[in-house]
Amino acid sequence: MASLSLKKITAVWIYTILILFVLAILMGITMRFTQGKTISVSPIEFYLLMTTHGVTMIGIWAAAGIVAVNYLLARYIKVSTSLNVFALVFTVISILMLWASTFIGKFHAGWTFLYPLPFHIAWETWATPMFLWSLMVLSVSWFIWTLGSMVQILKKYSLRQSFAIQHISKKSPSVETPPLVLISMVSLLGMVVCFIAAIILLALLLAEYYSAGKFVNDPLLIKNLTFFFGHTIANEALYLGLATLYELLPEVSGRPKFKTTWYVALGWNCAIIFILGAFFHHLYMDFVQPKGFQIFGQIASYFATIPSVVVTIISIVTLLYNNKIKWSLVNLLFFIGLMGWIIGGIGAVIDATISNNIILHNTLWVPAHFHTYNVMGNVLFSLAFFVWVANEFSDNNDLQKYNKLVMPLLMVGGFGFVLMFYWAGAYSVPRRFAMYPSELSSGTALASAAAWFACIYLVGVLLVLFDVLKKCAKVFSSSSH
Amino acid sequence: MEEHKFILFLFLSAAVLVAGIFHFLYSTTLNPPSESEGLQNPLKKRGFVLVFMFIVFVVLLFVTVPKSPYFLFSNETPAKVVYVNAQQFAYMMSYKSIDLNKPEIETDVELPLNEPVEFRVTSVDVTHGFGIYNSKAELLIQTQAMPGYVNRLRWKFTEPGKYNILCLEFCGSGHAVMRSSFTVK
Repeated sequence: MASLSLKKITAVWIYTILILFVLAILMGITMRFTQGKTISVSPIEFYLLMTTHGVTMIGIWAAAGIVAVNYLLARYIKVSTSLNVFALVFTVISILMLWASTFIGKFHAGWTFLYPLPFHIAWETWATPMFLWSLMVLSVSWFIWTLGSMVQILKKYSLRQSFAIQHISKKSPSVETPPLVLISMVSLLGMVVCFIAAIILLALLLAEYYSAGKFVNDPLLIKNLTFFFGHTIANEALYLGLATLYELLPEVSGRPKFKTTWYVALGWNCAIIFILGAFFHHLYMDFVQPKGFQIFGQIASYFATIPSVVVTIISIVTLLYNNKIKWSLVNLLFFIGLMGWIIGGIGAVIDATISNNIILHNTLWVPAHFHTYNVMGNVLFSLAFFVWVANEFSDNNDLQKYNKLVMPLLMVGGFGFVLMFYWAGAYSVPRRFAMYPSELSSGTALASAAAWFACIYLVGVLLVLFDVLKKCAKVFSSSSH
Repeated sequence: MEEHKFILFLFLSAAVLVAGIFHFLYSTTLNPPSESEGLQNPLKKRGFVLVFMFIVFVVLLFVTVPKSPYFLFSNETPAKVVYVNAQQFAYMMSYKSIDLNKPEIETDVELPLNEPVEFRVTSVDVTHGFGIYNSKAELLIQTQAMPGYVNRLRWKFTEPGKYNILCLEFCGSGHAVMRSSFTVK
């Protein structure tokens, strides 16, 4: 079980994540109100908010996934508190560097920092290396964090057992691998690989920066590395959220725990191959990319959904269908999060079809689908874990006064918010426009509506936040293990 | 139904179906029959979903991949070639390859109706987008403008009129105002 020190560091992580989440939501709302012409923000301010919002959101929800599985893995293995403290310290340093580069240095090349834009300096000169170093600090420290988390698992389970291979070859293996361990290993492996790619990418960019023109990168190679990193971290974060769902949903619903079977093991092992190859769909509109990569991108994007959907959805249906469930905020967040994940996945598959991507690429359809499986998927998985763990910290499962409002607020606000993106995207409104041209004025009205929906979602988040932070505070006055 | 509206309709239909299934699943957990044993034969149902999804995806791949932009009008000779050099925050277009030292830029590009044309798109600074919008502000097709590479985009315009070009890759603070246009006659 989790030690007191692990509980305390988990509580600090939750504080950090939730506070950054609220700030990043406020940045997003500011952007949508600006696009809706409700408020006025200069293009540079808009794009520096966009850059900060994107990197912060991807970072905090990837962190939330790692924090959650580390906490829950303590049920099966010895988890290092110092590893989590190390990651937190360097994450905070990296965020401070990032925010300094954007808010003080005015760096605004987007979270994709698509080469060679960071070198066409339209901000303080120091802001480019500050931004790149902030991501390098994050990538190296998280590489150590995720690799260290895998090593912790491998101290108890062999490599074969940690990936549940024995469940594929034998019907009743002598050592059972819990689904949490399997999914954590698969997701952590994906993260380790993507951080290696990020370190190579950032080293190449920093080499060009410090070489003063003697070393020049290839834009296509850098773009492939950028999206391999960006796509993979976003997706693996989602799978870590699913790992917590597998562990906690049966428990809080009063149902038997999930067990790893041959199809669960096979499905999750297959998922990693397809997830790592699906990033090619970000480069469909680069016609110079080899056609084989493009078509593989579509195949991988389609088939990445099969193992996770077939395994997870049927498992959840089996768990819940025609069984009396005591619903609480925790299992409702997991349940609705799963629905949001699937709906966002449908939007993603539509976009990952090359012949659709011609008219959807870099329109608002893209933030539509990734916001769906984050705002209404992964975030809800992590909030479910936060609520559950806060209850555990405080020995208090009481419903807070406004608890019944949380789900309606999150659902109306969240789904309303993403619907405005889908609508605008289908009608060709581009993403990353600080303002819309007159012929695309529908984007303006939809942006304003989206901002109001986001405000509703924010109220729901704040209700969860106040309850969770209050309960988490109790762990610091606790002395028992 | 137009392609844009069809995509939205398809997505919303699927989303409503998923929401309906989740609502049904939720409703079965409130007052299940006392003798209920939950979902029967889950392994068989899992196999059915697996085969169903596999078939759907294979069919979709065979139907959609040939419509990818890389294969459009690939067997036809373009009636006109337009060279495009993107730069922060404008497009240079010419019927001849653009010499950056002595650029000969067309200010009023005219393209033929119902004949294949080819855009050879590159960039002189950062990566840009090259999205072609019709007079109804619908995105028809696009490619990226990447420095050091030339993306060849082929298209056949079937309606005369003015077409706008918008940048669809974030390229800096002037991204939203980076645009150009041409006429199809």
